Amino acid sequence: MAKSMEEYYLVCEDSPEGVFTGIYEAYAMRKPHGSIHIQIGEEENLRLFATYKEIEPEPEKSLRVAETLERRLGPEAYVEICCALAAQDGEKGEAVYKTVVCGFGMKDGRQVMGNLAHPHVHKVFELARNVKNEAHHWKEFLRFQELEDGVLFSKIGPKNNIVTFLMPHFADRLPLYNFMIYDENRKIFAVHPASGEWYLVSGVEMGMERFEKFAAEEERYQELFRFFCKRIAIKERKNLKLQRNMLPLWFQEYMVEFGE
Amino acid sequence: MAQFRIGEGQDIMEKLGILTDAAKYDVACTSSGIERKGDGRGIGNTIAGGICHSFSADGRCISLLKILFTNECIYDCKYCVNRRSNDVPRTSFTPEEVCTLTMEFYKRNYIEGLFLSSGILQSPDYTMELICRTIYKLRREYRFQGYIHVKAIPGADPALVQQAGFLADRMSVNLELPTAEGLRRLAPNKHRKNILAPMRQIQNGIRVNKNEITLYRNAPRFVAAGQSTQMIVGATPENDFQLIHVAEGLYRKFELKRVFYSAFVQVNEDRELPALPGGPPLLREHRLYQADWLLRFYGFTADELLSEERPNFNILLDPKADWALRHLELFPVEVNRADYKMLLRIPGVGVKSAQRIVRARRNGTLRFEDLKKIGVVLKRALYFITCSGRMMYRTKMEEDYITRNLLNVKEKLPFDKDGVTYKQLSLFDDMGFPMQPGREDLPKALLGQM
Repeated sequence: MAKSMEEYYLVCEDSPEGVFTGIYEAYAMRKPHGSIHIQIGEEENLRLFATYKEIEPEPEKSLRVAETLERRLGPEAYVEICCALAAQDGEKGEAVYKTVVCGFGMKDGRQVMGNLAHPHVHKVFELARNVKNEAHHWKEFLRFQELEDGVLFSKIGPKNNIVTFLMPHFADRLPLYNFMIYDENRKIFAVHPASGEWYLVSGVEMGMERFEKFAAEEERYQELFRFFCKRIAIKERKNLKLQRNMLPLWFQEYMVEFGE
Repeated sequence: MAQFRIGEGQDIMEKLGILTDAAKYDVACTSSGIERKGDGRGIGNTIAGGICHSFSADGRCISLLKILFTNECIYDCKYCVNRRSNDVPRTSFTPEEVCTLTMEFYKRNYIEGLFLSSGILQSPDYTMELICRTIYKLRREYRFQGYIHVKAIPGADPALVQQAGFLADRMSVNLELPTAEGLRRLAPNKHRKNILAPMRQIQNGIRVNKNEITLYRNAPRFVAAGQSTQMIVGATPENDFQLIHVAEGLYRKFELKRVFYSAFVQVNEDRELPALPGGPPLLREHRLYQADWLLRFYGFTADELLSEERPNFNILLDPKADWALRHLELFPVEVNRADYKMLLRIPGVGVKSAQRIVRARRNGTLRFEDLKKIGVVLKRALYFITCSGRMMYRTKMEEDYITRNLLNVKEKLPFDKDGVTYKQLSLFDDMGFPMQPGREDLPKALLGQM
């Protein structure tokens, strides 16, 4: 029987910096990659005979890893990896780490994302696709409501951490508006001041009542749009199943046209 | 004729209802074809793939504020809900009302932009001018940079069409019926010549504009997202072969971006119109969209799909499977070696999975489980492929045998009429649905993996 290798678990923070620092440390260990694993956050069941090591995110190390990834794996794979890291998935750190190892081992690392037969590359591909799909869905389905003070406010409940993928899209679209997107699952506010740069705010307690005071005309336009959606449907083609396939039910609670 | 008109000062809600009802039979609701960033001084941008913002109860995408400017009309087309002889409430928007609705909807992320069509008020020129004035206001006064799709009104002054083209992203002229004969019967006021003239004008305009753009990068863009058209399916006796032939001609000779197919909905009683007790021919429409997809993305020609002898699509099989079964001599295909064009012809392999196969096989030989990960629909593809010279199961290369097996894999259709099974559909009320090509233009599983 083969001699069992010692296993190392690097416990990283759930952020790109956290995982990139973990990858840096994994390479610094100079042990076979098969024996090292990246784990995100604490896990309940610790493995026997495995060594656990907490990794604090370090900006310099993470930046060096990011630059290396972009250079050696190319921008396409780098974007895929960043998307995968926004996923709500406990395995993402390990998948990204092993994808990096796979890419560095290839003649042309830029082809790494084409290697879908590799289980970890496939995992990164799936996670990234899932994150991109969800981000696209919110670009379609999120709704702004105009508040009393003229701010456009949107509350979303995304499964993955996608608010940073939404902001460039809306900032380009609504440059002259004050708007705000609130991720209620992660309690993150993304704020865009008119003609300014957007930024994220988290960890602040904000009374949600102020986001329920709407502009005088808000209700009117919601009503008009609800009415429009009703009238645009062709009754001879009614097909609620198709509607649900295209627009999953869980989005509907965030959409003004499905109210009332 | 007793028509009541809604005058000035009438409720905007009422107008929106009437003019939405009047516009909904136009199927195009796409916002794709052009990627344009905002310039920071207005509102809006456009995304190449388009964005659907909602889905109505019929499962169709809501991307644009699709309305008529007015539902008054001097024409009397037999299939049209707005025809002159119909006794329905009539109303018109003002340009300001259209602009305000578009802006207020857009900033709340309800829509990608405006789709403005119109009945013919007074004359084609008068109507086209109203459309132009409205979108001019929207672009210049309101600084709206989102998506605008407008109709070119057949018979309108080419100068007005030209003007609209510099303000809109997409223009369309509806062919309505695939043959001149059909048009004569059902739309006596429209002439094929009048429909094709603005289509040609827009095509030429786009060509000239492309040259200008190469010379002067900042030259204004003309109909940058291209032009589209729509044909009504099932109102006249044309067969699928004729329809798909016309579509192919439109793509080749008029360089259209999209041809839309609209299953005929009987809104008027008229002895010239067919009775459709089974409802609109949704399956037929669906097959036409699938075939259209094959023409545009899969390298098929109309003559490969149908012929004078077989002028209609198979109800039971999608056009690609149908083609493959008639060409079993080309199969099975070795996935690890076949060229991209041939991969695209395998049932169960879509554009994306074909691209992924080409990429992935550089890193080693692909196995069936790898194909599954890549997104190939194996239960359809397995009769047509080998991996390293072996088929997945022992399979007879026989048309009847494979057909039977393919029919056991239930085709995912975007509709199932309550309780009507596939076999109950007769040849005459065969139905289809516009898988509005996918999530707008993203090929969705249904079509992408054909």
